[in-house]
Amino acid sequence: MSGYRLDNGGRIDRSRTVSFIFDNKVYQGLAGDTLASALLANGVMLFGRSFKYHRPRGIIAAGSEEPNALVSVDRGLGRFTPNLRATNVELYEGLRAASQNRWPSLKTDFGAINDRLGMFFPAGFYNKTFMWPRSFWDRLYEPAIRHMAGLGDAPTEEDPDTYASTYAHCDLLIVGAGPAGIDVALEAMGSNKRIILIDEQDELGGGALAENALSSWLERSTKALMDAPKVTILTRTTAFGYYHDNFIGAVERLTDHLPDGDEAPREKLWRIRASEVILAQGAIERPLVFDGNDTPGVMLSSAARTYASRYGVAVGKSVALMASHDSGWHDVFALAKAGVGISAIIDVRDTVDVNLLDQAAEIGLIVKLGHSVIGVSGRHGVKAIQIAHNDGSGIRTIACDALLMAGGWTPSVHLWSHSKGSLAWRDDLGAYVPDQPNENARCVGACSGNWDFGKGAVIDVLPTPMDQSRIKAFVDFQNDVTAKDIKLAVREGFRSIEHIKRYTTNGMATDQGKTSNLNGLQIASTALAKPVTDIGLTSFRPPYTPQTFGALAGHAKGALFQSTRKTNIDRWAEENGAVFELVAQWRRARYFPKAGEDMHAAVNRECLAVRNSLGIFDASTLGKIEVVGPDAAEFLNRMYTNPWKALEPGRCRYGLLLKEDGFITDDGVSARLAPDRFHLTTTTGGAARVLNMMEDYLQTEWPDLDVWLTSTTEQYAVIALQGPNARKVLQPLVEDIDLSAEAFPHMAIRQGTICGVPTRLFRVSFTGELGFEINVPTAYGRSLWQRLMAEGAKYDITPYGTEAMHVLRAEKGFIIVGQDTDGTVTPYDAGLDWAVGKKKPDFVGKRSLARPDIVAPGRKQLVGLLTEDPNIVLEEGAQIVANPHQPIPMAMIGHVTSSYWSETLGRSIALALVAGGQDKMGQTLHIPMPGKTHKAKVSSMVFYDPEGARLHV
Amino acid sequence: MSDTLVRSDPVPTSPFVSDGATIRLAPPMSLYSLRARQGQALETLLGVKVPKKIGETAGGIACLGPDEWLMRPPAGTDIRSGQGLPIAITDISERSICLIVEGPTAARLLSTGCPLDLDHFAVGRATRTIYESVEIILIRQSDDCFHVEVWRSFAPWLWTALTTAASH
Repeated sequence: MSGYRLDNGGRIDRSRTVSFIFDNKVYQGLAGDTLASALLANGVMLFGRSFKYHRPRGIIAAGSEEPNALVSVDRGLGRFTPNLRATNVELYEGLRAASQNRWPSLKTDFGAINDRLGMFFPAGFYNKTFMWPRSFWDRLYEPAIRHMAGLGDAPTEEDPDTYASTYAHCDLLIVGAGPAGIDVALEAMGSNKRIILIDEQDELGGGALAENALSSWLERSTKALMDAPKVTILTRTTAFGYYHDNFIGAVERLTDHLPDGDEAPREKLWRIRASEVILAQGAIERPLVFDGNDTPGVMLSSAARTYASRYGVAVGKSVALMASHDSGWHDVFALAKAGVGISAIIDVRDTVDVNLLDQAAEIGLIVKLGHSVIGVSGRHGVKAIQIAHNDGSGIRTIACDALLMAGGWTPSVHLWSHSKGSLAWRDDLGAYVPDQPNENARCVGACSGNWDFGKGAVIDVLPTPMDQSRIKAFVDFQNDVTAKDIKLAVREGFRSIEHIKRYTTNGMATDQGKTSNLNGLQIASTALAKPVTDIGLTSFRPPYTPQTFGALAGHAKGALFQSTRKTNIDRWAEENGAVFELVAQWRRARYFPKAGEDMHAAVNRECLAVRNSLGIFDASTLGKIEVVGPDAAEFLNRMYTNPWKALEPGRCRYGLLLKEDGFITDDGVSARLAPDRFHLTTTTGGAARVLNMMEDYLQTEWPDLDVWLTSTTEQYAVIALQGPNARKVLQPLVEDIDLSAEAFPHMAIRQGTICGVPTRLFRVSFTGELGFEINVPTAYGRSLWQRLMAEGAKYDITPYGTEAMHVLRAEKGFIIVGQDTDGTVTPYDAGLDWAVGKKKPDFVGKRSLARPDIVAPGRKQLVGLLTEDPNIVLEEGAQIVANPHQPIPMAMIGHVTSSYWSETLGRSIALALVAGGQDKMGQTLHIPMPGKTHKAKVSSMVFYDPEGARLHV
Repeated sequence: MSDTLVRSDPVPTSPFVSDGATIRLAPPMSLYSLRARQGQALETLLGVKVPKKIGETAGGIACLGPDEWLMRPPAGTDIRSGQGLPIAITDISERSICLIVEGPTAARLLSTGCPLDLDHFAVGRATRTIYESVEIILIRQSDDCFHVEVWRSFAPWLWTALTTAASH
């Protein structure tokens, strides 16, 4: 044996040495090692510092239940992963890992002062101590505590890795590929079922990987499964959550075990829907609770066996066992056979199976029945243990360098619990086992409580003659919860395990109490003198083990985070220097700056171009709905506030849509194409919402109407041509539509062709100028835009963006739903009385418009505001007061909703919601803004061309 | 002047080829949304057979819902509007583009983001579904060939998502 590596055995490849770095020191391991087994082989016992007391900690387990040995792995810039269990980190050449929660070093940690002061840090200490004064919490307590108590550092750089994801369906999903899971797979293999077999380890076998006698069976079985056509084997895959209807989330780790996996995705999220789920998650060995049970070198007995049988590593040269269960004896026999030195077997039970005694005698082991470990010597590693008879007599010391704990077994019912399967308590096991399923699922093997590990005694805390209040017997290693913390919680009045858990934080660490929940329950049960089943059971929730955000996000990052919807004309805008803004999921050109122009200058120029000659605007994002059927007009009449039935084909109408509460939710101009066909438009952001709302009414309120709705938003590219010269540019391009004012008035629609493609041509205006909105099949949008740009050159045609569009409409007092309204504005509040059909028997929201608070005076109403100083542009959102000299807090009577510089008018303009605003015309109000309070006069909302003369030309 | 306007598409016109699957833009075709309480009314008007079972296709018409069919005739096909009848026929030819996903791993590729069990999605089936967050209409043309209708503005995202998944 060189160091702690055994001469024989294990599944490691002794011909391949692997160099790695832990805490800046270079070590050698073997291919097939985990970071934990390789460090143990090098005699490293100290792996980290505990969460609260900064106590030195070693390895407890060999699998994913490990609570102590959390490390950070650094794979290069942006590839830093904290809080990985060393027992799950596969070794590769060049691996760089570091311990956590220590400063300045693992061996010398200043935070360890917490351990000496431990008596001052009882359960609930933080809750009790750092409550008052309230103001200290954010600046002092929280940051200081966060700094002291902790896990690894969160990475700071963007994660450069990619992540894959997929859905998968199967008839049989088996979680856990230990002997029980493999048996199920082998049995089902011959059927026609699609089988997925998942295991978190790097190879199939589970517990069998540490059972030399099973190795040839395992090899045969693995080969058979690999060759089976309908079996998908996913290793290095953790089934982390079990959701409704047999939906299981699993993460497959693809490259973390490779020295260089730059190109390939790092992890893959599997979203699996299974007809039947078999859980074969196995069981986790339970630690024993005694003073010093967290000393590095004290570990689970089964883990020591795994290190020897699977990795060829001895966890010590002289190993003692503290058992309350037969399984520990078998582990020690296996260790002895593998060449590990055994110093003694201590068993808390007074009698054990005579076969065990015979075997121990055969090997020549010292056996102490009816004894318990009462203390451990050594701070950074076990040097000796103190034991005593259970009655406290006969204290003696036994030299050893590792101590194994065999406290019995806890079935891994995590996923079963996610699925809401019920649990039943078994006194003989001291554990909950699966009972009634809630999904088409069942548990097999050790996770159902069926195991051949032998028998054991269930014991909460090992007997000790020491003062129970002075000892540190750990229950939850990761959150530093001791037996006395749980007893204290009970003394302070907590009765339910849900409360005890939260008060002590037992089981609330990243390991979700895999090794601590049952011991915590037993201790609480004893302290309360009630059976375990009376104090409840905490729930397991996904994830089974911590998973990366990257895996859960999958490819939803960067450009694929969410689709940015672009119009057919977007590319032209991009090529022509547009500055964009996001509107709902769309990106829209906000303005088109020329060289040297800022937004202000560009918008002024664009606005003047529309007013004086011609502007062109991409309106494709406007929502469109085609409403078709004999009852189309009746349907719209019920939805919108204004009358629709008498609208003639070929004409348009402004539609105002309320919700049932009477508040404005959307608006838009719509056209009647035929008696039974309407072309609706909605706001850009409201398109999906309006369609859903209309569809909802149609299906649930008026299923008798023969009318159907189809989203046509993306069927058409829409180009708004606005300005006095709009008609002149359009004229030569349109073949079969008379554009004259007489034949084609404002608020009309004509169908024909433009440049040879069919068009729905609207004569509408959101600018107050002569305007057309040209709808063409989407694919022709850009091409038509370029034709119009060429044709309009002689009128200095000017592309304008959403910012100029906002200014132009504000000059005309046209509202934008969602900017000038906020879900509390009625048509009357918005000055849109004219759009409400007074004679209509009903429409959506009508009844609410008669509610007392809606008709009461003093409601906030939309009005115009003109600042006393025409150069002051008010801030949108600024509050409005009637008297600026009143004491603070002042009575705020409204706020500014829209505010712009109007180059056309040579002054600023604003729209505002003001209480009783329509009765305050001409009054001066005050708008406090940073630095100064501004005066403004209440005015009409229409600042430009109030007669609408420019529209009707 | 009709020859002066040209079409432009939201995704590359050259196919993306990976091991096992090709993704390419289908040539334009006409698309009509057909709505009626009973398929019979459409059959009478259009003189075609429409499938009665949701998810089935027949003669280029897919039944997508209890009162909804999708008709995909060759590009430029005009059909009757059904004016005056309790029927709604809407031209949606330009609303979406069609991506053809073809090859031995086509189904597996689509499963990366589509939650349907494609082993149980027979040739000739059509349905409205999703690929991650984006709505699509999926039509199985053959064992190894799917048509994916996606609204134009979502097409670049879907193209990037599918080609990324295909290269993994």
